[in-house]
Amino acid sequence: MCSEYIEIPVGPQHPALKEPIRFVFKIDGELVVGVEPRLGYAHRGIEKLAESKNYVQNTYLFERVCGICSAAHTTCYVEAVERLLGVEVPPRGLFLRSIIHELNRIHSHLLWLGILAHEIGFDTLFMYTWRDRELVLDLIELMTGNRVLYAYNLIGGVRYDIDAHIESQMRKVLSYLRERTEYYKKIVEEDKLIRARTVDVGVLKRSDAIILGAVGPTARGSGVDMDIRRDDPYSAYEELSFNVVVYKEEDAHAKTMVRIDEILESINMIEDALNKMPSGPVYVKTPLKVPEGEVISRVEAPRGELLYYIKSNGTERPERVKVRTPTLANIPAVCKMLTQAYIADIPVIVASIDPCIACMDRITFVDVRKEKVYVISGRELREYARKWYKGVKK
Amino acid sequence: MSVIDLLINLIEVFIYPGVIFVVFISLLLEWVDRKVYARAQNRIGPYYVGPHGILQPFADILKLLAKEDITPGHVERLEYLLSPMLILYLSLVGIFMIPTGAWGSGYSVIHFEGDYLLVLTLATLTTVFMFLTGWGSFNRFGAIGSLRALLLIAGYEIPLFICAAAVILEAKTLCLSKISAIQGGGIWFLVTQPIGFLVSLISIQAELERIPFDIPEAETEIVAGWLTEFTGRKLALMRLANDVKLFLFSSLVVTLYLGGPWFMGQANIAIFLVKVLVVVILTSIIRALFARFRIDQALSVFWKYVIPLSLIQVIMSLFIG
Repeated sequence: MCSEYIEIPVGPQHPALKEPIRFVFKIDGELVVGVEPRLGYAHRGIEKLAESKNYVQNTYLFERVCGICSAAHTTCYVEAVERLLGVEVPPRGLFLRSIIHELNRIHSHLLWLGILAHEIGFDTLFMYTWRDRELVLDLIELMTGNRVLYAYNLIGGVRYDIDAHIESQMRKVLSYLRERTEYYKKIVEEDKLIRARTVDVGVLKRSDAIILGAVGPTARGSGVDMDIRRDDPYSAYEELSFNVVVYKEEDAHAKTMVRIDEILESINMIEDALNKMPSGPVYVKTPLKVPEGEVISRVEAPRGELLYYIKSNGTERPERVKVRTPTLANIPAVCKMLTQAYIADIPVIVASIDPCIACMDRITFVDVRKEKVYVISGRELREYARKWYKGVKK
Repeated sequence: MSVIDLLINLIEVFIYPGVIFVVFISLLLEWVDRKVYARAQNRIGPYYVGPHGILQPFADILKLLAKEDITPGHVERLEYLLSPMLILYLSLVGIFMIPTGAWGSGYSVIHFEGDYLLVLTLATLTTVFMFLTGWGSFNRFGAIGSLRALLLIAGYEIPLFICAAAVILEAKTLCLSKISAIQGGGIWFLVTQPIGFLVSLISIQAELERIPFDIPEAETEIVAGWLTEFTGRKLALMRLANDVKLFLFSSLVVTLYLGGPWFMGQANIAIFLVKVLVVVILTSIIRALFARFRIDQALSVFWKYVIPLSLIQVIMSLFIG
């Protein structure tokens, strides 16, 4: 009826996707020849909502942008507001902020490793990594009282201090996690089937990664040496020693190795932070009203560079908050990786950028294309209905 | 034939060791499979229905039977309605030719010279019906899944048949009951044909669409593959057929390489079931240890390694025989 290619819709609901996004793949046999992404299914209007809340309330709102990298979002937001206010956060507070941020990264990467294993049908590894991830969540619960949305970062510091008990518990869990992660690293490096499914799959060339603006582990797996923690240090990262993990292989296996090595780096970093931890208060009180001005704040979220832009008009509510999440930056890259791939590799490739759709969808259509999108979707819907009925009559 | 003979035949076919018995054992084997798989993954597995969740497969089937049975408007009705029944039926017929040792006899319910070939043919036929259902369900995932099933046949059927040749060469008979009886009197073919045993284990893993060869229904890629459009009663029949196939192929391996129901010169169904259990646990562990191949990788594994191995087995058994 249409062309020589079959079109396969993947999403908005599909077992390979944990969140709603839609890809239409044009396929030729088992080969993908064209990709058409469609975003916007999880749009929640958070940026608009932020304009009607004050700065303190917004801390909790932006935590809810993403359940997985919630610490990254609050860190980014509070650092931006602190810069507008011009307050100096006590150093202990900054160290604790880095610690929660790195714990967040460990749990996110372990979760991602499990998802990758699930996508290539290796459910045993999935179960094991998720079991170990529980330990990190327990640690976070011990530190903040919550498992997913920590409410730990505040404008002017962090909510709770840690004591000797938490510190010893943290060291114990981290050394166990290091052992486990090294074991997973060995598996991913050596297991023939994992290599067969990831090596030379979803290749993103270094030049493409730069042109398409890939960020985070996706870019670092393609040999692009970038990390906001080193390039534009925030929190306590200036005082912590760590390596930026870069792999040059450009495929899904390299992206996996980047993330596993980053877990190990994060473990070292937290231990380093615990050793260097200064004493003192963790929080300073800040005024509710924020002086007029604009600020851009960047952090290295588990998925890559996260960017907040805040414009203040001197009241207690922001005039405009703009969030650019790493997944959005990686969507052009993933489309590039998907063309000329096999159907069987689609889940691995989509997973290799660690997509976080709910974070991303808040932005895409809010300001830029709000009206246009509705026009498109209406036409698409009518076209779809027409095609569908034609098929039925036949 | 007297009335009593007829009655005995009916009991053999429908109750023991026939349909009801087979279904019961198959569902228990599904429980074993799920439990072993779960324990290997550090999970608990089925837990709530019955002691240690032993009745969970029964509950699943009952639940599916009670669900709404949707026939999508655009499917090929004939294939869609018939194939769940046919796939279940073909697998059940296959088991009638396996010597289970029921009533202490070393012979299967149906046995004749050549039943081995019939079992293998039935196995191929089930895959052909899988292809037809997937293709006829007019679903894109179904179409891709069924194509993959057909492609996969080209990989696993050939080594399975070559291994069959090796067994036949050594046993000098085409009757499964006699093949197992020969091993009961002498040594197991596992000892004389270890490569054949290995190749059969790998091939049935593909035949049963289990990891690492669950390519036709790879859920993260193509939803449920050829099963995508099935719901309710038909899905229940398909799942039951899958369990019966698990029983059929593990008992085929037992018959060919582990001496069937024979132990110490006696045929016994308990012995047979213990051996089947061992094979099922083996396949479950394989399932837990591997990731999924891509279709091209799976085929190259079969053609590069498994088929040459099975040919070596044939040459070896030619010299031994």
